[in-house]
Amino acid sequence: MDELTREFLIESQEGLDRMERCLTDLEERPQDAGLIGDIFRSVHTIKGTTGFLGFKRLEKLAHAGENLLGLLREGKLAANQQVITGLLQLLDGLRGILKTIEAENAEGTGEDAALIARLEELQLPAKAEAKHAVHARAGAATPPGAHAPLAKTPAPPAPAHVVGKNEPVEAVQGLAEAETDPARPRAQATAAESSLRVDVTLLNRMMNLVGELVLTRNQVLQATSADPNMTLLSRRLDMVTADLRESVMKARMQPVSNIFSKMPRIVRDLSQGLGRRVRLQVEGQDTELDKSLLEAIKDPLTHAVRNALDHGIEPPAEREAAGKDPEGTLKLRAVQEGSHVLIEVSDDGAGIAVERVRQKAIERGLITAERANQLVERELLQLIFLPGFSTAAAVTNVSGRGVGMDVVRTNVEKIGGKVELDSRAGKGTTLRLRIPLTLAIIPALIVRSVNQSFALPQGALSELVHVPPGQAATAIEWIENAPLYRLRGKLLPLVFLDRLLMPGVEHRVATERDNFIAVLDADGRRFGLVVDGLADPEEIVVKPLSSVLKTIGLYSGATVLGNADLALILDPGAIALKAGVTMRAEEEAARAADSEVEEEKKNLDYLLVEAAERQAAVPLGDVLRIEQIPLSRIEYIGYRPVLNFDGQLLPVEDSGGVLAAAQGNPDAQIIVVVCREGSRHVGIAVSHVLDVAAGGDLFEAGTAQRTGGVTLLKDRVTGVVDLGGVAPLPATEQAPAEWSQIAETVA
Amino acid sequence: MSTAAVPLNRKDKSAVTLVEMCSVRLGQTLFGVPITHILEIVGSARPQPVPLAPPFVGGLVHYRGDVLTTVSLRQLLGLPPKDGPQDILVLESSGGCFGLLVDSVGEVLTVSSADHEPNPSILDQRRRTLFAGAYKLKDSLLVMLDPEQLEPMRLGAAQAA
Repeated sequence: MDELTREFLIESQEGLDRMERCLTDLEERPQDAGLIGDIFRSVHTIKGTTGFLGFKRLEKLAHAGENLLGLLREGKLAANQQVITGLLQLLDGLRGILKTIEAENAEGTGEDAALIARLEELQLPAKAEAKHAVHARAGAATPPGAHAPLAKTPAPPAPAHVVGKNEPVEAVQGLAEAETDPARPRAQATAAESSLRVDVTLLNRMMNLVGELVLTRNQVLQATSADPNMTLLSRRLDMVTADLRESVMKARMQPVSNIFSKMPRIVRDLSQGLGRRVRLQVEGQDTELDKSLLEAIKDPLTHAVRNALDHGIEPPAEREAAGKDPEGTLKLRAVQEGSHVLIEVSDDGAGIAVERVRQKAIERGLITAERANQLVERELLQLIFLPGFSTAAAVTNVSGRGVGMDVVRTNVEKIGGKVELDSRAGKGTTLRLRIPLTLAIIPALIVRSVNQSFALPQGALSELVHVPPGQAATAIEWIENAPLYRLRGKLLPLVFLDRLLMPGVEHRVATERDNFIAVLDADGRRFGLVVDGLADPEEIVVKPLSSVLKTIGLYSGATVLGNADLALILDPGAIALKAGVTMRAEEEAARAADSEVEEEKKNLDYLLVEAAERQAAVPLGDVLRIEQIPLSRIEYIGYRPVLNFDGQLLPVEDSGGVLAAAQGNPDAQIIVVVCREGSRHVGIAVSHVLDVAAGGDLFEAGTAQRTGGVTLLKDRVTGVVDLGGVAPLPATEQAPAEWSQIAETVA
Repeated sequence: MSTAAVPLNRKDKSAVTLVEMCSVRLGQTLFGVPITHILEIVGSARPQPVPLAPPFVGGLVHYRGDVLTTVSLRQLLGLPPKDGPQDILVLESSGGCFGLLVDSVGEVLTVSSADHEPNPSILDQRRRTLFAGAYKLKDSLLVMLDPEQLEPMRLGAAQAA
């Protein structure tokens, strides 16, 4: 296929996408001349270019469409339901031919006579009203140049007049359209000049190279850390690399509107087919996501929208009987939250009939009746995600959603995302997809086992347990040959990584040295992975493995570490599978519900720290990680201590005076608790991390009001660190005024 | 790829052609790999072992931004593993790139197709598939390796069968 044809295909595809968006909008605003103009231009451009390239079939169809659109544009025809349906058929027809051209480099021999006849038929009512035509033509014939000064003011949205009743208005509309017309291509031209089409493979290659650069940078930083002459250079390299990485990642970002824009059509077609009345609301179209992730969520999202229409929103009569607006609302919302993008599909339909879910789960043997009766509503909702549940077609007809919800969850989890479901009977259902911003670079914890380094994705890691030397024999308990660990009173199945990786060799639990248990959560299967040692967390660049190693199933990729070592990336789900960590369905449901409860409780759990012999509490939910670093890594902006993390500056809060106390001791190690505060991260310097404990509420004597800033930890009143009080890093140096105030809260 | 592999297996009597071979030493034997298949030679590498991988996998090495799977020629030929670093030939095959772990890489030899002989019948089945005959040098034999047969995916499939 020659370059010209390829270019034409890409452009036409874009034009048709735009046309589709406009058509669905047109349904709401049938009088909007701007929309009709846009659609007309899309079809007109295709017609013009096809004639040039010699695609006769395409030209003929586009021509028929153009005639109809011309009448609409001149206002001789109203954009009613039939016309829009006809235009959508035209769109499908054009797309079909384009697809054939792409595949076969020829437009095929299909017959479009029926469609063309239909398009011509739609023009008829307008032709009957010839006198309007004369009037409108007079308006359209006015030279656009005469109105040039007006061209800058956009045409006001036309009031909803019925065509044919108010002729003068119609004529004015024709004028307005003609005026805006010449201005528009100019604006488009400037947009086209400032942007560039880039091949995705090139972008992938760039991303790969940047990953390479990140690795090299890590190695350079490690190698030069001791050389004071190199500090400035390596810091510069560090910053440039971080900036470059961000720019390349940005280049791969696409707005979610790319997939949201497909939804109006799906909603329109489905709601007509199902006899529903649905209004689609879209929010946050500009939110951006990595291209590959966007591709990955396209199907789950479409599925969720279909489900919402099929099983969520009730037929109009039913809605009216329930006292609701006969027109249902389907909301699509995208918003960025930290390093994730949240995509919400919510409807105001009937919600999920929890009782039916309970019955069906019992019928299908997913859960025992006894257990089912103990489950609360939220736990029951989780049953929908079980694989066996989805195949039950009968359920979907009667109660809530269910078709392939497990597939939705699997697809989203595959790219490191999460799915949440909320439903209230009679009020509606909300499905939330939480998607990470990017795939190629992930945070991971480096662990050691069988004398090698392995990378564990942080996403699956929930906590780390240290078993000191000598305690392994008592801490790890056995039922026959199944090792278990008592984690806060609950038994956690253990998997020894060395035994798993070297099955033929005799292993014994090394009690004379440290053991570490990484508590992992892989698709709801919780287990502890026992490793020999822990190294630092690192941002790793995921490299694919050859297929012969992929078939082993335990590794999801490999990476190069900062010290130039290679490390295999462990796949927690595969490890659970291989080690036989499975869960009966009921356990899984209970677990999923548990984790939700935990989520709520998180804010009540605190990390108990000690700074300068005083205890303070940090909300555990806000703690990202705990770093032990040499004091020399702390740098100062003015007198504010900061920590440079891979080019990211972390303000360090030292109201406990830990840094000051350690000053002068070059070998001193300090502990920094890295916390999340809104969208930024802050560090808190402490001398010890003591424990994790649940906090109790305290009430002010007399008023019985809950007190802020303090909590009851282990029967002691403890101050809670006010993370919000940590002053943001100044753009220009300035003394933080709240300094003293923070000191008080910590104390 | 396949065009280059053909002259290895078939002796063309009508025209004598000269072929460039990279010589490789492994144990006592001198092996040859057509240089048209070689992307690069990486000296003294220590591949990272992959637990649970098929035995012929010599480990992973970092190569130009990618992680490359290597095949241990010693293991394939049933020789004991060698201590210390080994050289790696980065080979290109129809299934992608992979590394071939050898004891040491020698010079490039120019051999004539007139000196080529097919595999002798007394070789075992395994070697007959891996080798593509031999070139008679003045004082030794240069055993030809067929890069296509050394491809990890193919070896994996052969092992599974």
